[in-house]
Amino acid sequence: MTETYLSIQGVKKSFGPTTVVRDFSLDVGRGEFISFLGPSGCGKTTMLRMVAGFEEPSEGRIVVGGKDVTHLKPNQRKIGMVFQAYALFPNLTVAQNIAFGLRVAGMPKAESAQRVQDMLKLISLPQLGDRYPYQLSGGQQQRVALARALAPKPRLLLLDEPLSALDAKVRVSLREEIRSIQKELGITTIFVTHDQEEALSISDRIVVMNNGRADQAGTPFEIYNRPSTRFVANFVGTLNVLEARVLDAQAGSVDVAGQVLALDRDLAPKRKGDMISLALRPEAVSLGRAGARTGALAATIADVHFLGSVIRVRTKIGDSTVSLDTFNDPTMPPPVSGTPAELAFAPRDLMVLAD
Amino acid sequence: MKAGKFWAWLTFGLGAAYFIIPLLATMEFAMRMRRGTYSFDAFAVVFGDPRFQQTFGYSVVAAFFTILLGVLIVVPTAYWIRLRMPHIRPVIEFITLLPLVIPAIVIVFGYIRMYGSNSPLPFLGSARGTDALLVIGYAILALPYMYRAVDTGLRTIDVRTLTEAAQILGAGWGTIIMRLILPNVLIAVLSGAFLTFAIVIGEFTVASLLNRPAFGPYLQNIGANRAYEPAALAVITFVVTWGCMSVIQMLARFAPKSANRPD
Amino acid sequence: MATISLSEPDAARAVPPTARAVRLPTQWLGVAPFFLFAILFLIAPTAYLILGAFQTPNGAFTLNNLAELWQPTIRAAYWISIKVSFASAVIGALIGLAIAIAIVRGGLPRWVRSATMTFSGVASNFAGVPLAFAFLATLGRLGLVTIILRDIFGFNLYSTGFNILSFSGLTLTYLYFQIPLMVVIITPAIDGLKKEWGEAAATLGATQWQYWRMVVIPVLWPSFLGTVILLFANAFGAIATAYALTGSSLNIVPILLYAQIRGDVLHNPHLGYAIAFGMIFITGMANVFYIWFRTRSERWLK
Repeated sequence: MTETYLSIQGVKKSFGPTTVVRDFSLDVGRGEFISFLGPSGCGKTTMLRMVAGFEEPSEGRIVVGGKDVTHLKPNQRKIGMVFQAYALFPNLTVAQNIAFGLRVAGMPKAESAQRVQDMLKLISLPQLGDRYPYQLSGGQQQRVALARALAPKPRLLLLDEPLSALDAKVRVSLREEIRSIQKELGITTIFVTHDQEEALSISDRIVVMNNGRADQAGTPFEIYNRPSTRFVANFVGTLNVLEARVLDAQAGSVDVAGQVLALDRDLAPKRKGDMISLALRPEAVSLGRAGARTGALAATIADVHFLGSVIRVRTKIGDSTVSLDTFNDPTMPPPVSGTPAELAFAPRDLMVLAD
Repeated sequence: MKAGKFWAWLTFGLGAAYFIIPLLATMEFAMRMRRGTYSFDAFAVVFGDPRFQQTFGYSVVAAFFTILLGVLIVVPTAYWIRLRMPHIRPVIEFITLLPLVIPAIVIVFGYIRMYGSNSPLPFLGSARGTDALLVIGYAILALPYMYRAVDTGLRTIDVRTLTEAAQILGAGWGTIIMRLILPNVLIAVLSGAFLTFAIVIGEFTVASLLNRPAFGPYLQNIGANRAYEPAALAVITFVVTWGCMSVIQMLARFAPKSANRPD
Repeated sequence: MATISLSEPDAARAVPPTARAVRLPTQWLGVAPFFLFAILFLIAPTAYLILGAFQTPNGAFTLNNLAELWQPTIRAAYWISIKVSFASAVIGALIGLAIAIAIVRGGLPRWVRSATMTFSGVASNFAGVPLAFAFLATLGRLGLVTIILRDIFGFNLYSTGFNILSFSGLTLTYLYFQIPLMVVIITPAIDGLKKEWGEAAATLGATQWQYWRMVVIPVLWPSFLGTVILLFANAFGAIATAYALTGSSLNIVPILLYAQIRGDVLHNPHLGYAIAFGMIFITGMANVFYIWFRTRSERWLK
């Protein structure tokens, strides 16, 4: 990571008796793209609004570029913000919307017009400068909102669920566009979303928030593959959870629905007889012979969903359900529900979830 | 933020003072009738006046027929426009707004000249006919409010689908309007009705120029000849208006909320 | 209901082809009562007066009636009417706007808003004769406020030249229904101002004032102007309050027309038509101006 540009230090926010953000600390490097990911009500938007200056932290500091901005008003922070509902000014054309921040800052007309043209080109809508917001599609409006936020060259770009109001298809293309523009400009960005796929696909780092707290911060790879809490494991990606009873903590041997399974790790401080939760990603499981992989469990195929390139199979082990994905193979008929099967996986892919 | 709140309270406070002081003053004035002490004498005199009872009764009946006429004209029209002729909606809306632009006194002046006893439609030739013309005039004055209320009510239900569903089940037009549309917009119609009542009950211009023994001209007459009774009458009228508006507010709570096709 | 749906399936099946064949006339039949009603009792009477304004008693075309409107009494009546209507509309609209902003954006408790809206609904319909009584009881020579000012503050309102039966008195009275009407109409427009617009403006560096000047005022302007026009027409045609307040001593157009209708005080029935025409013309022009303004400068409105 490069030098720290935005530093959030021990921030807490309470509205009356309810605390919505507690003990939040994060250092963001210059040019980094950070996502706040979490379910609604987890405090991610409140945290973003504190960075923007719409809310004042009850405790803690927010530092941008070495300067404490905790108590600065929003209009003195030089930030760009994009909202879920576009929030374009309806009485201004696209060009006037983009020029708003420049006009407010007193930039000369010619210079500002040039900058507006550059921004329109950046968002690939060079011909739409004279349109009014109501004449644009949702995706176009959000691109204009992005251009408007970027035009005054802000120090930070804050994106508050900018894709939630859009169609699935536009959502994907726009998030890629946002990411490429962000990389091109090298602007430090915070992106708030409740959609894990979005966060995984475009972030440098993700902060998973739960109940006002940052549960885990890390690269998408880390978050997905090494979730540190049960909440993160559940919230990010699909997860199969198996309840197991410890047989021998030191040897890593457990009982899953009557079958003995050997884990390649020490389970201390759990002791014999304790219950633990094991998690497996669907893509880490395969059907059939264990082969080089050592983990194997007998299961029954419950149902089969043909999704095209992938076949999603749900199997039952005792009371637990394990989903797994196999690639479609035209020469092989898909599994049949009700038949027995063997699940194979590498023991190191089994995650032991902290509670 | 703090300063904004202060200004908001100040604005609200000044506004409240402007609106409440005249009400208090009127009440106080009405209670001054008996020398040296406050009393409800003025109210007693008013309620005991047979002309008060007659004119108020007349206006209530006129309001009732106005509402009836308004509903009969507006509900089928608004329904039909939504169902079959959405393209002429702007025309209908324009017409329903005209009474806000053309003063009542002008409209009634037109009636007096057009519907005299020698005209093809001699409304003014008989007392009953003049009563009818009064009700018609009131229905015109209330048209903007009635249409607005009913149209808003219709917007919250999906008129077309409901109608088609009823037609598939074999319902005729009478059944559709009476048993399907009217019950669903009843709340809206009632809101329009009470608003109409509030407008009509003390109306002066039309009633006075048509020489009808309505409450409005009676109020004016008392005002010109008495000291304390007018204040009492003002309080009574205000209470009646307040009652109508409270009923409308209460009705709004029962209005159907399903906006499955908001447009 | 059940019997109908059981006994009529054949009839229902038979209907569509017939209905399609005569579709156009039946369709218009549905709105015929409305149009008949509107033409007979709204449009024709108005048109009758407008035509009459351009006719001599013998039915010949003339502009004399309109020219006669220029005589001093009538001209003065129009002038006072316009002044009162304009003043009460503009002042009422500004105060109403301030109150609406205060209750929507001022951070006041919820009950303030609902109480204000309910009261505004009542007060905007509390016009006419009783309103005049209320103001006489308040600011008349024996009104409560007049007496309190005199006895407690030693301030004689009437020695300042104030008179409830004057231009300022009438304007003050009209505000009692103009302000609430503005509040009722403009509050939804203020609700339509999105909170995010203000936040977006703030992040772009705008001060509160810049945000108001560049966004809020332009966005509210059409609704504001439209309501001002409505308030103007509302006051311009009002007669009951003024008549009950001042008798026929205050020379405003509706009272003049009222007197003319009752007793042909101008000794020319067609001059009455001309006065009526003048009233429609003024309120009509106000609306034409509004429509022109909207279509011309508000391209951003859908």
